[in-house]
Amino acid sequence: MTDILESRPAVAVSRGKPRARRRGRARRSLQGYLFLLGAVLCFALFSWYPMVREFIMAFQRTKRGRTTWVGWDNLHRIMADPAFWQAWRNTVTFTVLALILGFAVPFFVAVLLNEFRHGQAYLRILVFLPVMLPQVASALLFRYFYDPKYGLFNQILHFFQLPGSAWLSSKDTALLSVVIAATWMNMGSATLIYLAALQGIPGELYEAAELDGAGLWRRIWHVTIPQTRMILSLMLLLQVVATMQMFTEAYMLTGGSGPQGSTLTVVYLIYNYAFNFNNFGSAAALGVVMLLVLGAFSGVYLWLERRVKEA
Amino acid sequence: MIRTRAAVVVLAAVAVAAAACGGSSDKKSGDASASPSFNPVLDKNAKVTISIDCAPAANKPVETKQWTDDIAAFHQIYPNVTINSKPMSKCEDPAPFTAQLKGHTETDVFYTYFTDKNQVLDSGEAADITKYVTPQTVTNLKDIQPAILDINRDNGKLYALPRTNYTMGLVYDRAVFKKAGLNPDQPPTTWADIATDAAAIAKLGGGVNGYADYSANNVGGWHFTAELYGLGGRMVSQDGTKAAFNTDQGKQVLQNLYDMRWKTGGIGSTQMIKWGDPQAAMAAGKLGMYIGAPDDITYMVQTLKGKAADFGMAPMPGGQGALVGGDDYYFKKTDTPDQIKAGIAWINFKLLTPGKGQFQYDRNKTGGLPVGLPEPEFFIQGSPSQKADDANKQASATLPIANFQPFLAVSPTPVVEPPAAQEIYKVLDNAMSAVLTDKNADIPKLLSKAETDVNTVLANQ
Amino acid sequence: MSAPARSLISPAQLSKWRGKIIYWTLFWLTVVVFTLVFIGPLYWMVTGGFKSTQEVIQTPPTLFPHHPQTSAYSTAWKRLNMAQLLFNTLYYAGGALLLQLIFGVAAAYALSKLRPIMGNVVLGLMLATLMVPAAVLVIPQYVTVVDVPIVHVNLLNSPWAIWLPSVANAFNIFLLKRFFDSIPEELVQAAQIDGAGPLRTLWSIILPISRPILGVVSIFAVIGVWKDFLWPLLTMQDPAKQTLNVGVNNLSIGVQQDVLIAGLTIASIPAIVFFLLFQRSIMAGLTSGALKG
Repeated sequence: MTDILESRPAVAVSRGKPRARRRGRARRSLQGYLFLLGAVLCFALFSWYPMVREFIMAFQRTKRGRTTWVGWDNLHRIMADPAFWQAWRNTVTFTVLALILGFAVPFFVAVLLNEFRHGQAYLRILVFLPVMLPQVASALLFRYFYDPKYGLFNQILHFFQLPGSAWLSSKDTALLSVVIAATWMNMGSATLIYLAALQGIPGELYEAAELDGAGLWRRIWHVTIPQTRMILSLMLLLQVVATMQMFTEAYMLTGGSGPQGSTLTVVYLIYNYAFNFNNFGSAAALGVVMLLVLGAFSGVYLWLERRVKEA
Repeated sequence: MIRTRAAVVVLAAVAVAAAACGGSSDKKSGDASASPSFNPVLDKNAKVTISIDCAPAANKPVETKQWTDDIAAFHQIYPNVTINSKPMSKCEDPAPFTAQLKGHTETDVFYTYFTDKNQVLDSGEAADITKYVTPQTVTNLKDIQPAILDINRDNGKLYALPRTNYTMGLVYDRAVFKKAGLNPDQPPTTWADIATDAAAIAKLGGGVNGYADYSANNVGGWHFTAELYGLGGRMVSQDGTKAAFNTDQGKQVLQNLYDMRWKTGGIGSTQMIKWGDPQAAMAAGKLGMYIGAPDDITYMVQTLKGKAADFGMAPMPGGQGALVGGDDYYFKKTDTPDQIKAGIAWINFKLLTPGKGQFQYDRNKTGGLPVGLPEPEFFIQGSPSQKADDANKQASATLPIANFQPFLAVSPTPVVEPPAAQEIYKVLDNAMSAVLTDKNADIPKLLSKAETDVNTVLANQ
Repeated sequence: MSAPARSLISPAQLSKWRGKIIYWTLFWLTVVVFTLVFIGPLYWMVTGGFKSTQEVIQTPPTLFPHHPQTSAYSTAWKRLNMAQLLFNTLYYAGGALLLQLIFGVAAAYALSKLRPIMGNVVLGLMLATLMVPAAVLVIPQYVTVVDVPIVHVNLLNSPWAIWLPSVANAFNIFLLKRFFDSIPEELVQAAQIDGAGPLRTLWSIILPISRPILGVVSIFAVIGVWKDFLWPLLTMQDPAKQTLNVGVNNLSIGVQQDVLIAGLTIASIPAIVFFLLFQRSIMAGLTSGALKG
């Protein structure tokens, strides 16, 4: 089973190798770098260099054409911003909600779809359709559906004699409404990946489980999930990292802040600092904070994962 | 003999020095103090190319034709000037605007809103054009309201020329008023009247709302400010260091909206509205009134295909102050003096001359564009330019000018936006959205929290 | 196709009477719900384009347009300058796909099989780029693109402004690397013994069996460019060079509701057609056990 970040080749590399092997290793390294060259150049120019510039900007401030170093001042300022803590609270809530909806739902949908012997192509297309729509279109659709008075969702609820909801128009329901819309828009890709993973599970394992008397849920718990553990844990990490940076959905549905700032996320705060308030130092500082948070999260996650594997 | 020769040498030296001084000050882009030979008027023999943005885009064929005609006409006067226009359907978008300033990729003459002044000056991209703006280069300079020009000044230096400006008021749908049994010639001028009229309109049913207000994208706070000014309040103290809106007037602004939303039923339940939504609703006959600027009517008639005769304007409720806004053209720091002169000549021709360019109403009329709106209004009342413009407007009016009488009848004090406007607006967005979406909104608490937050913002400036 | 693989439910169970009822009920329920949930909104969008402005924003909404008219669609088509936008977007997406397949695969191959010294550091640095929000990176990236260091060229309004940064896609490289890791080392060694250099190994051994992951990475590459909004907004300001997403967004302020909806529908069609055309091969690739744990 391969690890996430490293993979040990089947043939062990021995230490104290003879000169020929050392030369071979050096030559392979050179070849390796040649192959890496194109990608590394693009990363260097368009990712790493901008990241360094951004890091520097986090410690500077520009007024009247003059840029000065202000040290930790930007960091203090953004933390003193009342929106800072609200944004982090919202972002974490949003991520947790989005994980429940955006992680569990696609997985179980994939499990369900995997069972059907017919019409898989049709269902797969359906699930993936929203991913192909322009975000403006999806946002417009959902803003219409969520309208408290005339939107489709409340009409359906009323039809079933249920009370309507304020959806996007109330601070209590706005975030959840955004998560539901974002799930609809994005679940297709995750579903397809899980579907592919599920189809690689050997059927004998299920037979064996059934012979052991395992019911449906136990089979899922003991066969399906362990067999897809690698993909699941990988997707979980990637989804947390991506969801914490989600911007477009909230922006297009509620204008970014939402009722009383209930859908204000850290990324929207960054956008606001950078483009509306023209305060690039604060935007960069907040970006650095997010990088550190996500880096720490990933580090802890991977460390925990390795511990669990070794157990 | 020697003395003469010496004199000639000295004279030559002086001439060379003068030429060198003049030459070097020409090379420094617009920065050096004026040398004795400085002439702000463009030399018709100097070949110049300038790029300018906010030209009409392909989705506005009439304006595009007008622009090209004007460029041709300008070329007749200044054959040495080549203008490269950058068409834009939206003249300013926050992200590209910021990026261009940072990347120095804006056009030589670039469009901004009044409120962008600090951003532009902070970026170091603006050229000082004080010495280029004279009655020779801007023919009607003395007729332009000094207050408007001051908006584009910093530390006494002038950096931009105005393009359009507006004051806000109450935009209302006369047809909807009539349907609700209200007199469209007597629109409400106080918040109490607005509440009554909105309730009457809401009774029409069918998705028609009496009044709508913003609560998203920083526009909610923008409207809070406008409405506060109408009641005579101010957002910040005179010196700009403390919030000044936690007053009875501030509470009244929020209370008015709260009551209309939850008590009298004038405001509908769809919220988190941003710019574009009320206009779309009104153009489709589904909204009675909202606070807006006269160019919203142009948008509703031209783009949204609403009926021109249906729209009217009333003064800002309270009538004591009105938020002014507008847009302008700045000059890029790296422009040569000739480019600045050419840019000013074009702006003078296209934007600042009654009867020409944007003030040429007869071709607006034949092109089907609305004529008769009370904007832009940056000429001094009673000045020759303003009288000429009014006469032209009357002659070619396509909108019933009478529809704007209520708006023009009241002259509230024009008030500019507060410092750090965008950040303050964002704070007030929360209060606005609270009263419009939360039945349990606690107005005094909302205002004190907003006050604390705005004080933090101002302290950080 | 081999015999259907055994999955959660056994075929034996399914052939029973009770199993059949549950299966078909569940199946049709799923089909109906999914159709409503995923196609319903699209249906609203498509029919909205046929309604008049009044009818579109009418409440309660109408299920079927009262007087279907195509004027909204024709206006939207003209306004959108759809052909140009579509061509641009396809051009950018295609180029980005090509470059990512070349340089991304090469990079993943190097990291996985060639394993140069400090390879893990490089990979770590690449993954770190996933953790920086785009909103913050966009300005330094823009400034870089305007004046690329060392070569000093301005990439604005040229497709390279989209193609080159798209190669820096850590997610795709990571997926590729993981897949290559799972290719047995014996295959590679066998090729080496036969005297094949790394390029030949890549071309003749690795790539042919990597079709599934290449399919997945291709989809993500194309979608990445297709849906991108902020970056093309900044770098492709020339209306003749704009992408579909940006053009559609510009449309949304400045037209009536029915034209907007018609425009959005038109803008959605190419994406859907593309997927319909390629989904079979993509899924066939995906299902050959490419992504098993």
